[in-house]
Amino acid sequence: MTRQERRHMRNGLLFASPFLFGFGAFFLYPLVASVYYSFCHYNVIQPPMWIGLENFRELFTRDAVFWKSLYNTLYYTVFSVPLGLAVSIGLALLLNQKVRGMAAYRTVFFLPTIVPMVASAVLWLWVLNPESGLLNETLRQFLRVDGPGWLADEHWAKPSLILMSLWATGGAMVIFLAGLADVPASLYEVAAIDGAGRWAKFRNITLPMLTPTILFNLVMGLIGAFQYFTQVYVMTGGKGGPVDSTMFYALYLYRNSFHYLRMGYASAMAWMLFLLILAATVAVLVSSRRWVYYHGD
Amino acid sequence: MTKRTRRNLAHVPLLAASLLFIAPFLWMLSTSLKHESGIFAKPGEPPQWIPVTERTDDQGRRLITYQARAGVDLGPDESGRHALSIDGKTVVAWPEDFEIQQRIGLHWANYVRAFEMIDFVANLRNTLFICVSVVLASVLSCSLVAYSFSRIPWKGRDAIFIIVLATMMLPYQVTLIPLFAAYSRLGWVGTFKPLILPALFGTPFYIFLIRQFFKGVPEDLSAAARIDGCSEFGIYWRIVMPLSKPVLATTALFVFLFEWGDFLNPLIYLQDERQYTLAIALQQFQSQHENAWGPLMAMSSVITAPIIALFFFTQKTFIQGITLTGLKG
Amino acid sequence: MQRWIRWILAGACGLLVYALIWPRSATSDAEREARKQGRTVIVYWDRHSGHEHEARRALIHEFNTSQDKVYVRALPIGYNSLMEKLLTSIAGSAPPDVCAIDGGIMAQLVAQGCFATLESFMAGCPSLREERFFPHIWKTVAFDGHVWGIPTTTDTYCLLWNKRAFRKAGLDPDRPPRTLAELEEYAARLTIKDESGIRQIGFLPWQPWDLSHMWGLLFGGTWYDESTGLAVCAGDPNLIRMFAWQRSFAIDPTSDTHPPFALDPEKVMSFQQGFGAYMSANNPFYSGKIAMITEGEWQVTFIPKYAPDLDWGVAAIPTPDGASPRAYGPTCIADCIPAGCRHPEAAWAYLEWFNSPRPDGRPSPASDYNYAIHNIPVRTDEARQARFIGDPRFRPFVDVLFERETVSAPVTPVTQFFMDEIERQRERVIYRKTSPEQALREIQNTVNDHLQLGRALAARTTP
Repeated sequence: MTRQERRHMRNGLLFASPFLFGFGAFFLYPLVASVYYSFCHYNVIQPPMWIGLENFRELFTRDAVFWKSLYNTLYYTVFSVPLGLAVSIGLALLLNQKVRGMAAYRTVFFLPTIVPMVASAVLWLWVLNPESGLLNETLRQFLRVDGPGWLADEHWAKPSLILMSLWATGGAMVIFLAGLADVPASLYEVAAIDGAGRWAKFRNITLPMLTPTILFNLVMGLIGAFQYFTQVYVMTGGKGGPVDSTMFYALYLYRNSFHYLRMGYASAMAWMLFLLILAATVAVLVSSRRWVYYHGD
Repeated sequence: MTKRTRRNLAHVPLLAASLLFIAPFLWMLSTSLKHESGIFAKPGEPPQWIPVTERTDDQGRRLITYQARAGVDLGPDESGRHALSIDGKTVVAWPEDFEIQQRIGLHWANYVRAFEMIDFVANLRNTLFICVSVVLASVLSCSLVAYSFSRIPWKGRDAIFIIVLATMMLPYQVTLIPLFAAYSRLGWVGTFKPLILPALFGTPFYIFLIRQFFKGVPEDLSAAARIDGCSEFGIYWRIVMPLSKPVLATTALFVFLFEWGDFLNPLIYLQDERQYTLAIALQQFQSQHENAWGPLMAMSSVITAPIIALFFFTQKTFIQGITLTGLKG
Repeated sequence: MQRWIRWILAGACGLLVYALIWPRSATSDAEREARKQGRTVIVYWDRHSGHEHEARRALIHEFNTSQDKVYVRALPIGYNSLMEKLLTSIAGSAPPDVCAIDGGIMAQLVAQGCFATLESFMAGCPSLREERFFPHIWKTVAFDGHVWGIPTTTDTYCLLWNKRAFRKAGLDPDRPPRTLAELEEYAARLTIKDESGIRQIGFLPWQPWDLSHMWGLLFGGTWYDESTGLAVCAGDPNLIRMFAWQRSFAIDPTSDTHPPFALDPEKVMSFQQGFGAYMSANNPFYSGKIAMITEGEWQVTFIPKYAPDLDWGVAAIPTPDGASPRAYGPTCIADCIPAGCRHPEAAWAYLEWFNSPRPDGRPSPASDYNYAIHNIPVRTDEARQARFIGDPRFRPFVDVLFERETVSAPVTPVTQFFMDEIERQRERVIYRKTSPEQALREIQNTVNDHLQLGRALAARTTP
């Protein structure tokens, strides 16, 4: 290594040392421990007992709920992540204009992330009420169709939850707003002089400059969607109903860990999920070299 | 269409969408001011938006309307029918056949009750202590680590960055117990330490976020500063950080928001009620056998209001931020 | 110069802020005083919060002030995250000294050695004898020759009905159904439909939540064989009958083989989705959406609070034909001493005081607690106190425990899973995804898989 390379290595590690130290001190042991647990029968109260690949064998060959939960989570991820990105970018663009009262509007759109889930749940349960809720009433009045049972219907429960997640994209929206703020105004001015229209400006300036933020929200969206479960508790009671259609992977994992005291089994599930998320994330990051533009380089 | 007209037209979709987004918040506020009887007034009908309460006469009897005539409810008999006094005569009717007269009433007693049920000052103090400390620690540590992964070209950097991300991919349920055991061995259980000190070591979410934004600072700035003999820390502190106010403010906001609402970690590590945070107090309010919706919503409103104010007043910092004009041309 | 001033100001502001928000001492004055007096300080975790915790706290305060050896610090945890907190603490060697645990989880934790054994403590305590407790409750805390906790409160279920709905349907409001056939007949008459859908349902066996385990036992079925320690539900004709009976409440009313009270399953599910929050005036029973429902004794307090205008009655649940009358005592809440806690003797001193009659002859603090939170006491003599059976609406709940054979959840390491699996299969039966026979087979197979795995592992460790 050249002297400059060595200097960079030293500085790089130095600046990263808080994380590296924390990782070694507080995360490495739980990480290794959980790998060990996945090969054990562990009920938390008594010491773990080695059983080799038994947990994995049971997961893959004897547990029908495991496969259902995997399907449910993949279904949720495939729909909620792209739709969520689209909605949050759209909202961010809408809220990035110099319109009077924009500060108030932005606060309003961020509210779903702040309001306690218990209040949101009551509202959404009413919206999704098959008999007299807002959605079905609107469908009946304006489109003259009978809406489905939403959370009560095994085919519509997941779409209902996806709809609810789109409403709560305030966090991603704020990050996009920060990303939009990072785009130099001078670029837009130059483009305007060159006669570019609004769509051209969006496609050639805004979108490319926004790609680092898109990458962030995409990766975090994936990681979050794969581990989705807290909202399910409030909306459907956490039992996975109706008929396992809302039994998400992380929910099933949670039940196995703290309800059934099968921490070894849950650890096996956790590591399967980890590998899945890792694969998806690495794929996205590798592809990012082709479509992400860091305007600092 | 003039620019101004277009700008004013933007209000239309904004207002329409706003209604949907603000709905739970409005319901929460209005329920916090409702008397218990008015909260779920009519089953199957939409949530009531305006807090209403019953109208009563001087003797405290309900005023009702029956067949378009006003009267007084004298109370139910054994069959469930109510005796109504209308124009001096007594009539008997089922409850669904007459209407209770209502007036707009703000039931502030819910707030009083909410404050009585929890030790608000102590909870607030504990919550603020955790939030402020974690914000300071996080912004500092995460920016330092993000700097390493974005502004310093060192070998193996991108591979190690995957490890940073990977720590977010393991569900918390399986690391909770070994982590607790580790903190317990250090003697940190029962104190605020496990809730604050780990922030000094960075959180992958914010490291990633800040790294994305640091990468947008022109590399030429760093190169020029290095040629000038500036230390790496100097570049970090004097060049990159000042140009990154939007993302740092966003980080601060998100960290504050998360810590403000986190009840699981404080619940697990704290051992005395006097250390409890607002989030724990709210969660306990929702316990199974005590579901007083009015005070619950009052408490939710009180706990939510500071965050809303925080967001509203600090928006400018991370939204209309500084543009990067490091080099002209 | 200006930059320095700004930094100093910022620092000063920071110090001021921190001075304001620095947490005050974590220990209360009373506790510090107690430590100075040389008392043993123990920690009590309550699975309740809110007013039930307040009731417990008042009694703990009485204990603290009535003697000078032990000081109890009470911590409300709330039901939702109790397991996370308890398990992490036990695994992290920082458990509380006494903890209140729910029956359903208790059965499971007890079977996994979570708690200290108490029979040696009990031997020296005349007022805490096994005979004083309801037998079905005692079985939840005592097995394998050990005692694992002291029960404090229990529940049971009865049939509640809406008297106004009865009158409207032309039924005698004071005469509840006494057999299952009558229940079905009443349910048919109490179900009101119109073109837009269901207005009122007579009865649904899975309200307010799944009670299939209970119904199975009431039908005379056997889920679990204690002698072999295995689930034996597959092929049990009573259990098959029970699942078919539940399913019949949601059978297509246009089909040829539907009972008179059958309703379109989709409409039933939609109607159910519209039920309001359990603890509010919109509870389906309070608001008249369901005319009859199986509920617990806590409704004696809830109804006056949430639905003061409701005219309701309570009676024992009708017995299915061919089965002997049974009562269901699902769980109890028990105080347990976690294994590895720091002060088991001091913890026992508190438990002994709480569960024994007071020295001056007044009833035990435990029965005071039960009265305050309106649950059923676990000791038979206490359950017969006038303040419990004097209330005409509370009395039927106590009576069934005395008059009928009471059954409850089995004590196994997989009880929670067992109950969840029953509920899950019941749902699949209702939604016509599986037959009752198939459902019972699956329950038996999965539960026994787990039971046998646990047993094989236990055999490996014991010499």
